[in-house]
Amino acid sequence: MRRRRRTDWAKWALGIYFVLFLIFLYTPMMLMGVLSFQGVYGAITFPFRGPVGLRWWHALFDSSLPSSHAAEIQSAGAQSLWVSFAAGAIVAVLAFTLSMAFRRKFPLQGLAFYVIMLALMTPGYLLALGTQLFWKFMGIDTSLWKTALGTNVVWGIPFGFLVMLAVWNRYDYHIEEAARDLGADQKRAFREVTLPLVWTGIFGGFLFGFTLMWNDYDRTVLLLSGSEASTLPVQIAGLTLTTAIRPDLYALGMATTLLSLFTIALVLGVVGVRLRLRATPVHKVEEEFGLGGGLEVESEAPPSSAS
Amino acid sequence: MGSSSTPEPPPLDDATLVALDEVEEGEAILAQQADTGEVAHEATLGGEEAGGGRGWATAAWGAPGFAWLGFFLLAPLIFIVLVSFWTRTDIGFSKTWTLDNYSQLFHDQTYWHNMLTSFETSLIAVFLCLLIGFPVAYFLALKVEKMQYQIGLFVVALAPFWTSFLTRSVAWTYPLMGREGALNQVLTKLGVSSLDDPLFDIGFSTTSVRLAMVQLYVLFMVTPLFFNLSQLDRTALEAARDLGGNWFSTFRAVILPQIMPGVVIGSIFIFVLTMGEYGTVTVIGGNGVSSVGTIVQSKVVAIQYPQGAASAVLLLLALVVGVFVITRFANLRKEL
Repeated sequence: MRRRRRTDWAKWALGIYFVLFLIFLYTPMMLMGVLSFQGVYGAITFPFRGPVGLRWWHALFDSSLPSSHAAEIQSAGAQSLWVSFAAGAIVAVLAFTLSMAFRRKFPLQGLAFYVIMLALMTPGYLLALGTQLFWKFMGIDTSLWKTALGTNVVWGIPFGFLVMLAVWNRYDYHIEEAARDLGADQKRAFREVTLPLVWTGIFGGFLFGFTLMWNDYDRTVLLLSGSEASTLPVQIAGLTLTTAIRPDLYALGMATTLLSLFTIALVLGVVGVRLRLRATPVHKVEEEFGLGGGLEVESEAPPSSAS
Repeated sequence: MGSSSTPEPPPLDDATLVALDEVEEGEAILAQQADTGEVAHEATLGGEEAGGGRGWATAAWGAPGFAWLGFFLLAPLIFIVLVSFWTRTDIGFSKTWTLDNYSQLFHDQTYWHNMLTSFETSLIAVFLCLLIGFPVAYFLALKVEKMQYQIGLFVVALAPFWTSFLTRSVAWTYPLMGREGALNQVLTKLGVSSLDDPLFDIGFSTTSVRLAMVQLYVLFMVTPLFFNLSQLDRTALEAARDLGGNWFSTFRAVILPQIMPGVVIGSIFIFVLTMGEYGTVTVIGGNGVSSVGTIVQSKVVAIQYPQGAASAVLLLLALVVGVFVITRFANLRKEL
């Protein structure tokens, strides 16, 4: 009894620490969010200058308001959205096919793995510089849809790839064998057995590709061509360089952040519904985290084991 | 069956764990090594014998991905190295080999000064992230008993990872730090500081950049540590306690050896990413703070591509050396 109480103290102390940690993590964003709801005389620091309103959020959409950046923000927002969808789709496909290759041994596999890890390790700004030089040498102009998209897909691939590896890791290859024993050819086994079991991982790849591109600044900024609409992060950085920073910068920052979070919530929700509908999940949560230990019970275990 | 101490997880958890999957880079690296090493060799699609020909057929799956990586990753990197040995011209570079770019850099005091500052920033970031992140991972993995809460709290801590570092830098700099920032205002209210003589006038400073780095990157340490700690052999923990070990000796003898891979992976991530940081440094540091990234940028702006490339190559070398040194702390392959 005494022992349990002592453990509890450590738990409470760490719990309070965890709350402080969350405050440390979230405070800047929250301050920014609060300050984005100021009135006309709003500034970029406290005190809050009322009245509470959506004036600065309006300024993101209504270009008729004085000195509004709405026009640029809207075109940048549209660009960002489309190019992020493209990045997500390409990352999903490439990460999946790469992980398919890694299901069995092939020559130079070790080296290939390090190349993928190199994509994770190369600082974005350096890669952007290299890309700029390379394309300059080839005599092609860099642009959002050619180079910036390409470099951001490079950044997304290792994330999607590692997700897929985690998926394959707890994937039961016997299911495929069973399908083929039952007469399915390789194509059919792949389409009707493999894909439905691993598509959540592919979706994870998409999510990574999308959010990394959506939020990227270091790679994109060097690779835009001067004439085209920029992306939202580049726009945000541009606003910090203007002489007068106003709360619409905060509103814009909050808006992009909310869209990021909304995307994740949406995907988690979709996956959650999907798993709820599926009668027998492939594996249990404990196994996912290696926490099952000796305690895990097969979901198909006969009831006799309970007695 | 129902009495088992691991409660049947509701479907929602399966949803949240997808998010976890997506950041368990470290785990997956480890898993991959084991997987491709032996297991995948046997358990493969169709289960045929993996002969040499089949190997290439498998590699064909990877062709589109590797083609992309070759064109958008390897070619640019090789090109940086090439250009760093070429001669600068008014419009860019010409293919005349030279070592001038490097010799100029070696005699450039400000370059070395900035390189060292960047290096120091990265080291501080790694250590602070370890110091601040470990209790968080420890709490989540070992002190939260219910799986649902564990995953839920982890996702809450992880959510900022998905948002723009640039936006978070803006949020860090303008409303919070600086003379008029919320931090100094609170301290003024408390009488610790004053607006005229501020204790925390670190709006655009190296200190602010370093603190922000911790805030931005700490999750790269928490995540691998969390996965390591949740796989910790709990019986060994109990055994250590039963044998009379206090928390500290248990930590050193039981916990530390088992979480070393996580520490190493987290450190590599934070070291590499903070060394190469550009956008957040310019936002948080304003014009006052330089990093390797901003040096490269200043060369690019001045159309001194070969010199920019040379400083980039030196940065890459520093990264390789740094990663090599960090991996000495744990034999990742052996740990698997």
